[in-house]
Amino acid sequence: MKRHYTILILVTVAATIALMRVVGCGTSRSARAVAAEKVYVAPGELDKYYAFLSGGQSGSVFVVGIPSCRLIREIPVFEPRAAYGYAVHEGDPRREELIATGGLWGDTHHPALSETHGVYDGRYLWINDLSNARLARVRLDTFEADKIVKIPNLQGAHGIAVVSPDTKYIVVNGEFEQPTDGMVTNPAPYTSVVAFVEPFTMEVKFEVRVPGNIDIADTSKDGRYSFSTVYNLEQGKDLASMIQFDRDAVAAIDIPAAEKAIAAGKGHVRNGVPILEGPENPGLLTMIAVPKNPHGVNVTPDGKYVIASGKLSPTVTIIDTKTLKIVAEPEVGLGPLHTTFDGRGNAYTSLFIDSQVVKWNIEKAIKGAPDYIVDRINVHYNIGHLQAVGGASMKPAGDYLLALNKLSKDQYLPVGPDMPEDQELIDISGEKMKMLASFPTPPEPHDAEFIAASVLSPKVKQVFEPAKDAIAAGSESVVRTGPHAVTVNMTMIRSAYTPDHFDVREGDQVTLRLTNVETVRDMIHGFALPDHDLNLALPPGATRTITVDAGKPGVYWYYCTNFCSALHLEMRGRMIVQPKDSTIAIPDWKAAQNVKGPVAGVPSTGAGQ
Amino acid sequence: MSRSSALFLGAAVLSAASLLTPLWGFRMSAPQYPGEALHLRVTSRAIRGDVHEVTTLQKYIGVQFPTKLPELRWLPAVILGIAAALALAAVAGRGPAGRVARWVAAGAMVVFLLAAAGLLQKRLYDVGHHRDPHAPIRAVHDFTPPAVGPVKVGNFTVWSYPHAGAGLLAAAALLAILGARPQHRLGATA
Repeated sequence: MKRHYTILILVTVAATIALMRVVGCGTSRSARAVAAEKVYVAPGELDKYYAFLSGGQSGSVFVVGIPSCRLIREIPVFEPRAAYGYAVHEGDPRREELIATGGLWGDTHHPALSETHGVYDGRYLWINDLSNARLARVRLDTFEADKIVKIPNLQGAHGIAVVSPDTKYIVVNGEFEQPTDGMVTNPAPYTSVVAFVEPFTMEVKFEVRVPGNIDIADTSKDGRYSFSTVYNLEQGKDLASMIQFDRDAVAAIDIPAAEKAIAAGKGHVRNGVPILEGPENPGLLTMIAVPKNPHGVNVTPDGKYVIASGKLSPTVTIIDTKTLKIVAEPEVGLGPLHTTFDGRGNAYTSLFIDSQVVKWNIEKAIKGAPDYIVDRINVHYNIGHLQAVGGASMKPAGDYLLALNKLSKDQYLPVGPDMPEDQELIDISGEKMKMLASFPTPPEPHDAEFIAASVLSPKVKQVFEPAKDAIAAGSESVVRTGPHAVTVNMTMIRSAYTPDHFDVREGDQVTLRLTNVETVRDMIHGFALPDHDLNLALPPGATRTITVDAGKPGVYWYYCTNFCSALHLEMRGRMIVQPKDSTIAIPDWKAAQNVKGPVAGVPSTGAGQ
Repeated sequence: MSRSSALFLGAAVLSAASLLTPLWGFRMSAPQYPGEALHLRVTSRAIRGDVHEVTTLQKYIGVQFPTKLPELRWLPAVILGIAAALALAAVAGRGPAGRVARWVAAGAMVVFLLAAAGLLQKRLYDVGHHRDPHAPIRAVHDFTPPAVGPVKVGNFTVWSYPHAGAGLLAAAALLAILGARPQHRLGATA
């Protein structure tokens, strides 16, 4: 009897183990652990890559660490951001630039990193504003937008690309076609232009007219051609008429031919920019017929092929970049939008309708081999762009791929009807793709580019060199510069503003020139002035100048908004606004003549009395 | 050149060279200064290094690390004087006058080093004891940093250590003492 029990117990245990194996309990848990370990970057450790994601209608750029998927920074570009003191106040140079070029809002789609010899060099990032036809440049040593320009003669600045391999131009595609002659009274055909912008002066050097709506851009790796997908060759003005033709095109612009034509004076200057017309310049523009309404266009890392994604057609069109002839048009799935590369001969195409990434072998597809599809992985949901690390450069890393999905649906805790965007990080180092992690963002990243931390982080400044107009400790002053104008030259350092108070009169325009005289990294001080619509943020070494109206008589406490030190809460001072008819004398004040503080360089002084 | 002259000449050169390098160093580390400990270096003329940041920080605990030491006004002259005395001793010859010159120079060197060490410790004591009673943060009590070694001050660990210049001076003293010893004994041990 006892023996029977023993056998029964052994059989039960064995059956349980067998069942667990079949159900996959043990294996699935270990797959989670493997994925988790691949994205786990322990506190204090640093990520391997910076990912720059366009912020879409947030008008900014999101900087995310890969593989941890941690948001490190948002770089405001086309929209003011008070927390960073970015473009918030009248007189701010970026704000003036934004207002002059189209307003305080933008729709960023495509980040493009500067290249040297076809690889990212970590100097600049350019990003478009679709809605106001603008291009901005971000310095990657300070992660700040440093120049914003309007692109004349086009509307809907959509696809942009760096002209490889050495960033000769930034290509900007005009998506929303306009009457060719610029007149609404004349029923001229609608066309658009591709703009070529000098990357460092940001001057628009020339434009090339292209029929239809110009969508996504890339360039050949040798700098010969820019490629743009073009839809609506019908030149329709409503949806139904935009999708009638069987084929639209990839527009290939011969850049040296364009430069020659410009040098020969063949451009028709409009709004200060010479425009080249295709028919007048044979060889300049080649329209390569591809299935209708294509979307993404991507050049392979070796520069041999340019691949147009079918969008409405389940195919990708592979075009030889030397002959500009189609070499294959393989089916990959429903709604192919964009393609990226691992540097091992594989392409990865996003399938919007299938909600998948498909991995396929380029040479096998060209040869017509039946097994050119290597793998598929589900993404959540409706993927737009996808980008592998270095996929748009000549040296892809072949390790990670980011899927930028349009819908998140059930992937995060519900937060009301407006759900976040969903990004998914996929391991592409093996034959099969493996889902690693997802992370949400505010609306709405479209595209991303990556740069190795080992390349970029040594170039990043964490303390500004004092600018020419910086205020040095000990040289603070309050100076009346006119009957209704006062200039306050102020410094800030843990945990005081100097001067810690000053008097002005109702009706005065108060110009504040502020310098953060800190010399250690991350010691940022804010300057908020209640009831004056004012907050600035000054990283160490930074100087900002702004002018505000003194406002109503009263005492206004300026205070530090960026938590700095044990005396952060005490870090404040007073702007005392005297009534217009006040008879109190307000003499000029100079810290250099009035230092009472116990510590050299940190005078604790008042002003105005 | 006799062995003694060579030793004194060496001592003179080393002590003069100490004018070109920092004498004493302080390394201050705290959790919020990862991989970027603050350093102060006392040279014979000034205090250099992260003076700005140390000045900014120490007012919280009412410490006033001297950024200008009155001693530094005469220190270079004294070191030069000692170097000159050592050089003189090197060329003073083998006679009794020479022997006196060597003993005086070596003695001056040793006395100077002992006095400097004492002065340093006194300055360090003052840093930890003569503090602003109105300092904002009350958590720090009186402290005395050792001339060599660590002390904990608030969130900082402060290490004091001799810098290259102090090493040069110590080496110079050693050479001077060796040089002042009677010649025949030196010869016997060599």
